[in-house]
Amino acid sequence: MSNNNHNHQLSGIMKWGFKKSPWVFHCSTGSCNNCDIEILDALTPQYDLERFGILLVGSPRHADILLVTGIVTVQSFPRLIHVYEQAAKPCLVVAIGACACTGGIFDGSYHQLGPVDKVIPVDVYIPGCPPRPEAIISGVVKGLAKV
Amino acid sequence: MAELNPIQRVKEKFPDKIAELWERSPKRIYITVGREDAKDVVRYLFEDLGARFIIMTALDTRQGIEILYHFSFDTLSKIVSIRTLAPMPFPEIETVSLIIPGAEYIEREIHDILGVNFRNHPNLTRFILGDDWPEGVYPYRKEHKGQYPYRTEEEQELFRKEIRSKWEK
Repeated sequence: MSNNNHNHQLSGIMKWGFKKSPWVFHCSTGSCNNCDIEILDALTPQYDLERFGILLVGSPRHADILLVTGIVTVQSFPRLIHVYEQAAKPCLVVAIGACACTGGIFDGSYHQLGPVDKVIPVDVYIPGCPPRPEAIISGVVKGLAKV
Repeated sequence: MAELNPIQRVKEKFPDKIAELWERSPKRIYITVGREDAKDVVRYLFEDLGARFIIMTALDTRQGIEILYHFSFDTLSKIVSIRTLAPMPFPEIETVSLIIPGAEYIEREIHDILGVNFRNHPNLTRFILGDDWPEGVYPYRKEHKGQYPYRTEEEQELFRKEIRSKWEK
């Protein structure tokens, strides 16, 4: 697995480019689809994230930010690693929702492999069941400020 | 095609195959058919009447696994559910995925969690349960009462390491 100490490796021009137009990839690893719908809400014209250059892309190879929702199930675990290894580094990993942050109501159930931070390094945690679109935007902006 | 009442047409087409027809409201109709006739009724609704296939559901009842095919007539705002029963202990039914290709995934999911064997299904393999899940354990059946193969924290860590090691090469 790659280390998550990319924050210190970025040069000035890369930081500028990373923050200017972060493209996001949405990866659901076993959520109940509630957090997914809130992500879609955040991308609607009402919140209009595209004015900040935030764009939903269809491939992790184009993405700067991974939005991960849901507890990691046994079937989705190899696929999440597959997605994370394909994403261009540095990439910001955002765990959205109670299940992705801590396990939520699925903690200790029979077909899971723990919350997202046990599988891949996570930069930003956004709790809530589901978090409001404002909370998701605020979390992503705080994560970008960390870069 | 949709001008005639589709329920009347189903009644005329299968006069002796419909075991029960329950109109809960003008918009919500349940048709109970035998297990071997379900495929013909589904084919008639989907191909001849042009109904939209919404989803399949299944549930564990005392009599067996009840399987429901939900169809929608969008222009008439009617939802029609075809109900059928696959008796225990070896529930089995003919697949509809050769008529409706979109039903392939939901049939695999029902096979995973309720153990219904769909005959002539092109690819009836594991869908949402892990590949190491034991045969014959179906988590949504009532007989199990929560006794599922369970991974402890240490076993979870071992499994995570095993999958990760494939990527570190």
